[in-house]
Amino acid sequence: MQGRSATARARRARMTRRERRSLWLGLAFVSPWLFGFLVFTAYPVFASLYFSLTDYNVVSSPRFIGLRNYVDLWRDPLFGTSLYNTLYLAAIGIPLALFLSLVIAMLLNTKIRFQGVFRTIYFLPSVVPAVAVALLWRWFLNPDFGPVNQVLEAVGVPGPGWLADPAWSKPALVLASLWGVGGSMVIYLAGLQNVPVQLYEAADLDGANRWQRVRYITLPMLSPVILFNLIMGIITSFQAFTNIYIMTGGGPSNSTMVYALYLYQNAFQFFKMGYASAMAWVLLVITAAALAVIFRTSGWVYYEGRS
Amino acid sequence: MRRLRVARHGRLHRAARGPLRGGALAAIAALALAAATASAATEITFWYAWGGSEGAVVQALVDEYNAGQDAVRVRSSFVPIGDGERILASLAGGAPPDLITVWDWMVVPLGASGALLPLDEALAAAGVGEDDYLPGIWAYGSYRGAKFGLPTTLNVYGFMWNKDVFAEAGLDPERPPRTIEELDALTAQLTVTDARGNLRRIGFYPNVTAIYFYAFGGQLYDPETLEPTIDHPGNVAALTWLGAYYRTYDINRIRRFQAGWGDMASPYNPFYRGQVAMQEGGQWEVLFTRQYAPDLNWGVTTFPAPEGGRPDVAPVQGSFWVVPKAARNQPEALDFLLWLTAPEQSARFAAALANIPPRADALAMPAFQETVTPELATYIDMLLHGFVFTPPPLPVGLYLSDQLNRALASVQDGTADPREALETVQRNVERELEKYR
Repeated sequence: MQGRSATARARRARMTRRERRSLWLGLAFVSPWLFGFLVFTAYPVFASLYFSLTDYNVVSSPRFIGLRNYVDLWRDPLFGTSLYNTLYLAAIGIPLALFLSLVIAMLLNTKIRFQGVFRTIYFLPSVVPAVAVALLWRWFLNPDFGPVNQVLEAVGVPGPGWLADPAWSKPALVLASLWGVGGSMVIYLAGLQNVPVQLYEAADLDGANRWQRVRYITLPMLSPVILFNLIMGIITSFQAFTNIYIMTGGGPSNSTMVYALYLYQNAFQFFKMGYASAMAWVLLVITAAALAVIFRTSGWVYYEGRS
Repeated sequence: MRRLRVARHGRLHRAARGPLRGGALAAIAALALAAATASAATEITFWYAWGGSEGAVVQALVDEYNAGQDAVRVRSSFVPIGDGERILASLAGGAPPDLITVWDWMVVPLGASGALLPLDEALAAAGVGEDDYLPGIWAYGSYRGAKFGLPTTLNVYGFMWNKDVFAEAGLDPERPPRTIEELDALTAQLTVTDARGNLRRIGFYPNVTAIYFYAFGGQLYDPETLEPTIDHPGNVAALTWLGAYYRTYDINRIRRFQAGWGDMASPYNPFYRGQVAMQEGGQWEVLFTRQYAPDLNWGVTTFPAPEGGRPDVAPVQGSFWVVPKAARNQPEALDFLLWLTAPEQSARFAAALANIPPRADALAMPAFQETVTPELATYIDMLLHGFVFTPPPLPVGLYLSDQLNRALASVQDGTADPREALETVQRNVERELEKYR
């Protein structure tokens, strides 16, 4: 085994003619993607870094202004508001979604009749296009004739203004975002299938109860999946845009003005591309920092076969 | 080597491409034929911004122009005016159409950035001047001595009231408010709340803040110097009054009520349904009410103003035709533009849109005059004899309106003093304007 890998290493260092040929062939095959990546992703990313140091309104050519966009961001009260709103939605929304999708996945992992039907039903909302979901929720949460408030009224609770009330608009968005837990639920389900049955059997023999089995087997075995869902949750919630753009447009009183929405406004409504590029880079740094913290503190994650 | 490979590919696909190739050959032949017959014509591209029946009117005008001469052929396509990204991309890419339709607030920002062709020379050569246009309209779309576009048609706002709601509340349906005090009193009388305190009808709903700035004697910019005057005492007074309105009727209650309003261009428009008794509304309402609320009993008049304010404000908005500086066929585009904005065509176009033609001679044309109803006559009268104001022709127009929205929001929430809020906007706008000096 070891000998083989050593020769492989040696071979890799000096490729044969045939290998070089197949390398070029392989590169040729991926070249459409490589070209697309370089032109449509890599170039714009680095161009935006340059634009973030300029005053650029798309129509006239960019003018270099150094770090002024970043200084302006620091002074812009709406930048702070949008950052706060984004963090608020992430701090409430991500743990709730993580918890809810895990619970649903565990329930749907029990052996019951029509298991497949239930799984489909819970996943179905994730298939609906985001725009349709946003429009639907706007109607669900309508203060006067939305079903949510009608149910509340039926049990004697006066329904809040939801999206029309700055105090309730963010909780309303969190509520609406839970509609999409089906996506992470499916990932949990896949993770649950991978938990070895013999662990549960051994626990049964040791007399573990239901909670203990969840606490000492399911959760540790699932922890890499939880970490994955947490990271994806952070990335997507920092970039939240579509549903909020449609449901509130950032209002009322900027109470749902999230980072990506404000970035979009600066770029495509105020044509301040330089400013928007600076915002994009700040977001990248914030996201990277958040993920670094998550990875640093991920001691709770158990990787099978690694001590 | 490379050529060889291509050739091999060609052989590989020949079987599949056979019929397609035949079609392509026929198409090339047809194109060649068309090119031979119309070789003298220069083709220009024109983006118009109206769909449906309004778009059909534009298309009919284009067809008429094409049929009337051999030198220029206009190829038109419908590009929604809201598609600013597409317009911007075409300008930034350096290959824009020869004539584009844009919102009024885009004209000066694009012009000041050097993206648009100043029309002054062409207009002077054609003998078109300030006197041909309605009073106050020539400066619209101009910035520091350059005219960057011609208005397509004009929209003018008036003060609308629902006469049936007035009668129902025991008020004289023929007597709209003349002063701000009367407006406040009527708003209170016409507002209805249910047992829970939720609004069922609001007496008056202000939407376009700038109207009240001007009605209170203020202004957003100095028309002589083109300097912003956001913190003008008249503006402060108007915003203070609006703040009091929002305190009285509670912005959150209003928002909750608003969440149940229907689409403006539908029978569920809150004004048509009596959910709003008094509001601002443009001359398009003449067409809209006929279409969506034929039984609605409404009137339109000038905006109420306080003592010492302006009792005759005529807020004007609209879209523009602009020729990009990078357009390839500028002389032809200008020829078409001059034809399109000539009195006869302008009158027919405005009549079809229920808008007002920007030129005095077009306004007098029978093609337009035969569409004038008593309500439309009121709007026209406001435009002809009132204090006309348009969105500020500043390169930072959109930034300014966003800043004003922020100021309004902070006053609505009671988090800022109106004067301080407007002073902040003034400072920010001045700072943003420095980039254009």
